[in-house]
Amino acid sequence: MKIKITQWVYTLGLIILGFGGPVQTALAHGEKALEPFIRMRTIQWYDVAWSKQQFKVNEEVAVSGRFHVAEDWPVSVPKPEAAFLNVSTPGPVLIRTERWLNGKPWVNSVALQPGGDYEFKIVLKGRLPGRYHIHPFFNLKDAGQVMGPGAWLDISGNAGDFSNGVKTLNGEIVDMESVGLLNGIGWHLFWGALATGWLLWWVRRPLFISRYRMLQAGMEEVLITPTDRLIAKAVLVAVPVIVLAVNAVAVNRYPNAIPLQASLDRILPLPALVNAGQVDAEAIKAEYSVAKRAMVFTVRIDNRSDKPVRIGEFNTANVGFINPELPAVSSQAPATAAVLKLDDDTPVRPGETRTVTVTAQDASWEAEKLDGLINDADSRVGGLLFLYASEGGERYISSVSAAVIPKF
Amino acid sequence: MSLPVTTQSIKPYTGEKARLVRAYDYLILVLALFLFIGSFHLHFALTVGDWDFWVDWKDRQWWPLVTPLMGITFPAAVQAVLWDKFRLPLGATLCVTALLIGTWITRIFAYHYWNFFPVNMVLPATMLPGALVLDAMLMLSNSLTITAIAGGSAFALLFYPSNWPIFALFHQPVEYANAQLTLADLFGFQYIRTGMPEYLRIIERGTLRTYGQYAAPLAAFCSALLCTLMYALWWYIGKWFATTRYLSKI
Ligand SMILES: [Cu+2]
Repeated sequence: MKIKITQWVYTLGLIILGFGGPVQTALAHGEKALEPFIRMRTIQWYDVAWSKQQFKVNEEVAVSGRFHVAEDWPVSVPKPEAAFLNVSTPGPVLIRTERWLNGKPWVNSVALQPGGDYEFKIVLKGRLPGRYHIHPFFNLKDAGQVMGPGAWLDISGNAGDFSNGVKTLNGEIVDMESVGLLNGIGWHLFWGALATGWLLWWVRRPLFISRYRMLQAGMEEVLITPTDRLIAKAVLVAVPVIVLAVNAVAVNRYPNAIPLQASLDRILPLPALVNAGQVDAEAIKAEYSVAKRAMVFTVRIDNRSDKPVRIGEFNTANVGFINPELPAVSSQAPATAAVLKLDDDTPVRPGETRTVTVTAQDASWEAEKLDGLINDADSRVGGLLFLYASEGGERYISSVSAAVIPKF
Repeated sequence: MSLPVTTQSIKPYTGEKARLVRAYDYLILVLALFLFIGSFHLHFALTVGDWDFWVDWKDRQWWPLVTPLMGITFPAAVQAVLWDKFRLPLGATLCVTALLIGTWITRIFAYHYWNFFPVNMVLPATMLPGALVLDAMLMLSNSLTITAIAGGSAFALLFYPSNWPIFALFHQPVEYANAQLTLADLFGFQYIRTGMPEYLRIIERGTLRTYGQYAAPLAAFCSALLCTLMYALWWYIGKWFATTRYLSKI
């Protein structure tokens, strides 16, 4: 007898445990998690800057910048029909209070257009003190997370001081940190108490072995008494009545309740900032020297503006290579140290078309795991090439891409 | 307390034997509770998942459809065993209570203390009213068919109205970013989830919107129909695994 019952429990346990599996794990930083061609040829970030990096709990901080959606979007990556501009925090240590895209506020996901130029701003409010490395990044549907440049943020102050009051349309101000919490706990306790009562009603009697014996002996009417039946009937009637009654109260109390809002935002790109036409740059060829950790581009520049221009920077996957002859320029803050070498750095005159060899040599190719490109199914490199007018300082940006040939 | 013995030959245990049998009851109960806290909770997290985790996933269409459908599984299987072998009508309530204990522990420790989400953003839904009705129904009818049809339907139909008192206030409208949002949506926007972009939400989608405002009742009726089948299926799963057929050889 005893063995049989134990076996039931064991076998039941086994089937139930069979449902075990990996519990969802929180996504970590993941800057280098995606294949290099995705990081280089989808969302191309530049001019990303933080309003400040040291602030207190309850203080707001803004990160703003621009990104270009690459024309040469990888064929193996789904088009950005739903994308979400996010921030890589370890949980909500900051809350997001505002988010802007091309000057429009938005809270949902957005459809982006390849070739489009966008300007963003995210306003965050300090919630938990600490030191965090934070990046703006895009969640791309079915593709992954494309990180923007990261920065260290120092939040000081007291977690307990954090407040997040929100005004509802009725004019009531609610505290997001606690609204509905006690109410929710109260309902769980209420139903929990009823359930506990029901369980105790049965558990207080001899259970498994005794009941099994009596059931086998045909003593069913002893196991379920008339009082039990009465209570079950009460449960059967009272529980639905209570549910419907409290539901009616809730419906009356919140007559303006609306369904969850689920819309996809359509925000059009800005007038072209990248590949805008006046100065064209096109990568004809790219070679990657594995030993030197250097990407060598052959770039054709067609200057149709009225001023001479020079190449100032090549930027890809948040690694910037700067032409040291134009030290004042960088699309990134703080500027990265990697150097961009040109075989001919004399300004390209208006109307001139010139083919230049540009060398981006740095250990970053390896450190940022971008050199894996040569082993990928899609081994095209991409990035933004920044050109500057020698006089006036105007900036022309080209999104370039080319197939990479490895040199061992 | 001992049971009154009337006609049949079996007498209740007394003395040392009664104490041993009682200790055994408690052992099994505690074991079962932990088993269900772990396994049902895991099963629920893997199937209902985000609909139960986040306040901004609790919509009118998918949440009341999926939650009872996945929630009736273990109760049906455990009822099959406890009722069939012991005439104990507490399988559903026991399972759902265990689920809620596990859920609350995770929400508070994993979501709140470890990942910093406010608890009100991750409040679990309750299925206890449905479970109580399911147990009472099985006890009074002593019939799989009636429990599956009437009890299974009640389990699904009671889900949305028993949770609306908890979640209605999160559906108050707010003006934000030049749009109308619910407080629930605002939680999703403000409290940053890196691995849970907005577009992943499976909410308010599908063909159940034919009757406009009545999306939730329609989803509930749809769920009721499916719960009836699900109940019967899991009843047999429970019964099949509780069989002693394989053990007689040991
Ligand atoms: Cu970082």
